[in-house]
Amino acid sequence: MKSKKSLAVRLTNISKHYIIHHEKPTLMERVINGKNEKFKALDNINLEIKKGEIVGIIGPNGSGKTTLLKIIAGITAPTKGTVKTSGRIVSLIDLEAGFHPDLTGYQNIFLNGMLLGMKRQEIKRKLNAIIKFADIKQFIDTPLFTYSGGMKLRLGFSVVAHVNPDTLLMDENFVVADQEFREKSFDKIQGFHDQGKTIIIASHYLDFLRGNCERIIWIDKGIVRKDGNPNRVIKEYMRHFKTTAD
Amino acid sequence: MRQFIELLVGMTEKELRVRYKNTVFGFLWMLVNPVLQMLVIGFIFKFFMKEPVENYYYYLFIGLLVWNFFSLSLTKATPSIVWERNLIKKAKFPRSAIPLAIILSNFIHLLIAVGILILPMTFLGTLTFTGIFYVITAFILLFFFTIGISLLTSALNVRYRDVNFSVQAVLIVWFYVTPIIYPLSIIPYRFYWLWRFNPMTSILQLLQHGFLGKPLPGPAMLSINTLLILFIFMLGIIVFGKESKNFDDWL
Repeated sequence: MKSKKSLAVRLTNISKHYIIHHEKPTLMERVINGKNEKFKALDNINLEIKKGEIVGIIGPNGSGKTTLLKIIAGITAPTKGTVKTSGRIVSLIDLEAGFHPDLTGYQNIFLNGMLLGMKRQEIKRKLNAIIKFADIKQFIDTPLFTYSGGMKLRLGFSVVAHVNPDTLLMDENFVVADQEFREKSFDKIQGFHDQGKTIIIASHYLDFLRGNCERIIWIDKGIVRKDGNPNRVIKEYMRHFKTTAD
Repeated sequence: MRQFIELLVGMTEKELRVRYKNTVFGFLWMLVNPVLQMLVIGFIFKFFMKEPVENYYYYLFIGLLVWNFFSLSLTKATPSIVWERNLIKKAKFPRSAIPLAIILSNFIHLLIAVGILILPMTFLGTLTFTGIFYVITAFILLFFFTIGISLLTSALNVRYRDVNFSVQAVLIVWFYVTPIIYPLSIIPYRFYWLWRFNPMTSILQLLQHGFLGKPLPGPAMLSINTLLILFIFMLGIIVFGKESKNFDDWL
């Protein structure tokens, strides 16, 4: 009972099949062609991630990393199996999504915050902290189309960071503007870890993962190939690709 | 639930704010369309009508206002999920908030426009206390019908993008098979059953009765229309609920 309670994510027999659409099918084509080609992105995955763990996910492109993150985040549903998660989950994918260019920074904070699962009252409480962290105080009343790319990213990250997630999901293309803000945001993520929050990162930067993760999961063709100590898994991962390359 | 309502209110606010941003006339644009249509159709159709409809311009205006609400909501809601794909990919939130916010914002506009319309109408002397009851009933039916059908089309459009084109094509024809520019009474009774399959018929007739004292929909018309509205509403909710889990796979 107790061990179940301290789980952040529990995936049981998760499979995800995609229908291959070479082109978006039209209703007519569907009626004519009948059955569709299927692609197994994830094949019977069983996974438990404990609260407070910082986990890296590695694997070649197309191995199912992003699909796995999407299923954990609840953005898409698995074809088979059950997902159990505890607490608030937030993904750092596409930080600028959900912003409207014609609305002010202030209005966008509310809209984005609510999409991420915060209540209005909660956003109000955190408003100053969000603005301060994003460093956009001067522009808070101006429409978003006047913002620079960096400002938008900063605001996006700041909103996500203040959602106060229990589990944080990151994809590799996570980049945050300039050096200064990058450090600030990594500090924030480090802070999450210190507070005992769960962090799951999918990435190709093996050195980064080796330095920061406590556990690495290697995914290959939709199945878990190896799972465990970062040094050991990464070593085998690299050996595997050396031998297949030879 | 509370969270969902707050999100819905927030998204509706966004729709309202963004719609008439940087326009001089703002909300008035909402009235310009039906007024223009009313003037042109009113002028021309007077030549076609065998028996002129009393207060024909008012009659037209009510119908056009309601029809514009319906067709605008449906045309905007149908592609909305595809349109907002980056929201779908970003976070887990009730997907229905996207089309519902569009409908709600349009509905608020409709209510304001109707509020404005009531002013000159008080001089006609057709407004009665019981009329309000019919108007409210009509708006409730309209609201549920628009939600049901929009949920259905917006969900299906994610997989089958032709839904969007079908909606546009159907709406053009639908306008003419709804008693907006003509009263149902000009249709021979033996064809009435056709209108029974169009839920907009009762909605329009209830409003025309409530505002202008025109004849009420018959019991068969009203009951079949209402059943259809309920059916489409349920179907919309079920289909949307089922499809929305996998929207991401198709975007």
